[in-house]
Amino acid sequence: MAEVALLTSFLAASVRLGVPLALAALGETVSERAGVINIGLEGSLIAGALGGSLGAMAWSSALGGILAGAAAGALVAVVFAAFVVGLNTDQIITGTAITMGGLGFTGAVYQARFGLAGVPLTLPPLSSVPVPLLHRIPVLGPALFEQAPTAYLAVAMGILLWFGFFRTEWGLELRAVGESPDAAQAAGVRVRWTRFWATVFGGLMAGIAGAHLALDSGTFVEGMSGGRGFIALAVVVLGRWNPLWVVVAASFFGGASALQFSMQALGWDVPHQFFLALPYLLTLAALAGWVGRARPPSALAHPWPKTTM
Amino acid sequence: MTDGGADSASPPSVELEAIRKRFGPVVALDGVDLAAFPGEVHALVGENGAGKTTLMGVLSGVVRADQGVIRIAGRSVRLAKPRDAWASGIGMVHQHLTLVPELTVLENVALGVRSAAWGLRLPFDQVRSRLEALSHETGLSVDPDVVVERLSVGERQRVEILKVLNRDPRVLVLDEPTSVLAPREVEEFFHVLRGLAYEGRTVLLIAHKIDEILAVADRITVLRGGRVVHSGASHAMDSGSLAHLMIGRDVAARELPQPSEPGAELVRLEGVSARGSRGEVALSDVHLTVRRGEIVGVAGVDGNGQRELALLLAGAESPESGSVQLPDTVGFVPADRMGEALVPDFDLTQNVALALTDMPKYRRGALLRWGRLRSATARLMDRHGVGAPSLDVRAWMLSGGNQQKLVVGRELIRSQALLIAHNPTRGLDVAAGRFVQDELRRLSRSTKEADGEDPPGIVVISSDLDEVLELSDRLFVLRKGRLLTVPEARRTREFVGALMLAYDGDSGE
Amino acid sequence: MGIRVNRVLRFGGLWVALAALLITGVVAVGALVAGGYDPGVALSALVRGAAGSPEQLFSVTLVRSVPLILTGLAVALAFRAGVWNIGAEGQLYAGAIAGVWVGLAAGDLPGWIVVPLVLLVSSTAGAVWALIPTLMRLRLGVYEVITTILMNFVAIQLVGYMVSGPLQESRGVFPQTDAISASARLPLLIPGTRLHIGFAVALLLGAALWVVLRSTVFGFRLQVVGQSPAAARITGRIDGARVIFVTFLASGGLAGLAGAMEVSGRTFALYEGLSPGWGYTAIAVALLAGLHPMGVVGVGILFGALEGGAGAMQREAGIPEAWVSGIEALVILAVLAADQGRKWFARTRSERARPAESSVG
Repeated sequence: MAEVALLTSFLAASVRLGVPLALAALGETVSERAGVINIGLEGSLIAGALGGSLGAMAWSSALGGILAGAAAGALVAVVFAAFVVGLNTDQIITGTAITMGGLGFTGAVYQARFGLAGVPLTLPPLSSVPVPLLHRIPVLGPALFEQAPTAYLAVAMGILLWFGFFRTEWGLELRAVGESPDAAQAAGVRVRWTRFWATVFGGLMAGIAGAHLALDSGTFVEGMSGGRGFIALAVVVLGRWNPLWVVVAASFFGGASALQFSMQALGWDVPHQFFLALPYLLTLAALAGWVGRARPPSALAHPWPKTTM
Repeated sequence: MTDGGADSASPPSVELEAIRKRFGPVVALDGVDLAAFPGEVHALVGENGAGKTTLMGVLSGVVRADQGVIRIAGRSVRLAKPRDAWASGIGMVHQHLTLVPELTVLENVALGVRSAAWGLRLPFDQVRSRLEALSHETGLSVDPDVVVERLSVGERQRVEILKVLNRDPRVLVLDEPTSVLAPREVEEFFHVLRGLAYEGRTVLLIAHKIDEILAVADRITVLRGGRVVHSGASHAMDSGSLAHLMIGRDVAARELPQPSEPGAELVRLEGVSARGSRGEVALSDVHLTVRRGEIVGVAGVDGNGQRELALLLAGAESPESGSVQLPDTVGFVPADRMGEALVPDFDLTQNVALALTDMPKYRRGALLRWGRLRSATARLMDRHGVGAPSLDVRAWMLSGGNQQKLVVGRELIRSQALLIAHNPTRGLDVAAGRFVQDELRRLSRSTKEADGEDPPGIVVISSDLDEVLELSDRLFVLRKGRLLTVPEARRTREFVGALMLAYDGDSGE
Repeated sequence: MGIRVNRVLRFGGLWVALAALLITGVVAVGALVAGGYDPGVALSALVRGAAGSPEQLFSVTLVRSVPLILTGLAVALAFRAGVWNIGAEGQLYAGAIAGVWVGLAAGDLPGWIVVPLVLLVSSTAGAVWALIPTLMRLRLGVYEVITTILMNFVAIQLVGYMVSGPLQESRGVFPQTDAISASARLPLLIPGTRLHIGFAVALLLGAALWVVLRSTVFGFRLQVVGQSPAAARITGRIDGARVIFVTFLASGGLAGLAGAMEVSGRTFALYEGLSPGWGYTAIAVALLAGLHPMGVVGVGILFGALEGGAGAMQREAGIPEAWVSGIEALVILAVLAADQGRKWFARTRSERARPAESSVG
């Protein structure tokens, strides 16, 4: 009986930890499909966490937090997109700067608001919503169907985006922009417009992911994004730029992170740093084993329009 | 200006009035007037740099004119982006094909057409049936579900045209459409164009090959130096007068290469097979020898193993099987000038150094002798007439012709034995192209110099049939990875063209 | 992840750097005002903290510049070869772990043996830490941007494990190592200050890299590979994989050396959070320096001053130190913007200078 409870709590934790990865990775899938790799995702994530915290406190509601987090994440992505799409700067370097700036700026705002030492915040909880009937399934029910609304959002977005990519003209244009912006433009597609909004959408999703992080842990901590933006980038690769697989890959990483708690519950004597490093190590291993079979959008990370310099 | 239109009673479908466009101090279009009517094939001709491409840019919404009026079917329009051009009923078939290689034919045809405000549906069935109808009408058939990157160049061009026709344009603009086609494909293609004009569309054709223009056009407008120098019915012109109008002076007939006496053997390929970048068989069982003092021509449509053969002969790649004998150093003029031959953002000395870092003369141990490289570059520019303000300008700042002269000169420093040139005149204007061709011919004919070396052997791999016919002492055709010998007696455009293409036209890769 | 990396990277010189600094200054002052701070007070605190006294200049600013110069050189070298090493942070930590380990284990030996040994082992450790992303790029085609960042997080956890496990101080109270013995510490460059010989080493390495890039065959080939892998392979007949291998490891080695300089020259012990993100700041340093090694030395000192002054700014003007990483990010963005401006200017000018045959198309 203890094992079953453990399994249930492991699955529940996997989903909970996988949700922010799934949300951020789904957003990133959209922008990468349009040819923009956003290394600044981490910046949107942490901005979402802070924005989410402030919003949730201001409106005393988790939903307010989610919305504020989404706005903050999108705002950071607007800055990124203004540089890489507007000014055509290098995506990698710009993204790195956005991450640095995001971490620094949120730290500065937090310290300015709550003092240099910082105070633990108390945020309205992200209460779980049981799915009627399904949540009564033994073992799986409590694990998978009594989750925060953001978890259902991630799954819904996965399906919605898959449909959008492959079954709508909008998705066709998005994919064309990411594969061959010249051809897309010649066909009358607005390349920069598409890239810009795809990137902002990516930041918005990362912002929701950040808000989820803050609300889920009940407080904001400087640097609490903890590299999830980068793992989300890897999740996109593992999900082969397909929203449905991205959700699966994110759950896999949620599981890897959740191992930490289960192993400790089982009393295994492994240094906890190992579990903290595990998601990164698994990402590396997965990238090494998986990449040969996936092909990124051809124009990914290529500025457009191309210039001779 | 109104003589010869197929249907000059109706208003012109496209009318340009006093179009001007400057790039900095350069006047690209200097008050261009043009009128094309429904039902006619209207050729727009001129040398590279005459303004054709800019004019196309204006019509397709890529380039915005500084002054002038554009009227479509009598209505003045503003074409600021490609979308505007589509909306005005102008369909562009670009010189560099603009399909998304990773998408299917059907997806490419559907791309950019919005059937609902937010693009939230994708009416594949509608597009599919429309595509079938168009294929039937024009005789251009292609499998809608195949991914474009698997198609041959000729097939891609069909898709490009179908994609444009899917939007039912009144005016169809084609920019140098035959440059990727072999002679027999060109004939079929012109047949399709005539059919489209017959339906009442206007076909505006940008071209520079005189014979082709005279064969297909109803009317011809000649651009030179950004101005219209002539516009009239094609039956009133012949190739001499047209060439005169295009270039502005008479063109001297060029002498044919003297048969040479080849010297020592330089290259021997025996039973060579190689794979391309995607693992497909690119060369199979190729046999070839090259001697000093001869130009060996390899004709063929790009994508039939041309790149692999060039890299193999240049010593940049090794074969999968078979034996290859090459001289110690080989000069190589790759097809992609800015991507593979030069580093655009390096200055000229650095670009020369690029090919010479292995030569003891330019090194002192682990150090490069920049002084020597600099003077070698200066000498090279002098000898080959590279026009540049100084050695310190970046390569991208040079014109295409000067870039190519720099590359050829550099490769001759690298090797006096063997020079491999892949599409050496592509993208150059006529004068620069001739200069490069003459240079190659002169090299292979140079007599023994004092230091005793015979002239180099040269291999020209080119998709420009006229170029190889004119230059080569011995001629081959590379088709589907096989090297076919062209007998001396059958060196005609028709025979070689047929050999380049001898497949049923539909068989993909 | 198989992205074709074929970008041209050439950040332009002095004017871009000056313009970028100007933009950064204006935006930073604007942000300070918007945040309710007095920019005058902040600035004077910054300057005093960075160079208000010889003590501040030598013991704070220049000491802090050492890891910034070394990681900046690591990044500049890698970027010149088109290697997107965002992993200097992790490589620095790998070097710090190895350095402190050698310092603790071999502390009984005389200094002229231990110190070189510490530096050697640390830079090797940095190179080894870079080896995994290197091999993943060269053998598997996995894009190094993501792998190097992931390796940073792994390194940080490894430090956490080391200082609370195998290398924890003998008292076993705090998560940190014992102090290394005096013989394993770097000699001082200027007696009476904290400025150690690591600063001189950093200057010499900057000069050496400059010579390598300017005058050697390898340095030239490295830049060809960075600018155009296709031209390097086809025209230069350059073994790009070998160039990338050597450069990537050298870059990791430089970052590892930075870690050694910290534990052996400044802190004498290893603990979590040893680096305030120097590996990332290094990107700003390298870019502002136009990827020029001697420029990196200058900008490294400038950023050392910025970080040195930040502490004073926090004490005297109440401005959180976190502002500094925001300003560093701003520097990168300003360089990017100024560089786009330079390119635009160069294009416009060259279009005016020549009959624009190719720009017409």
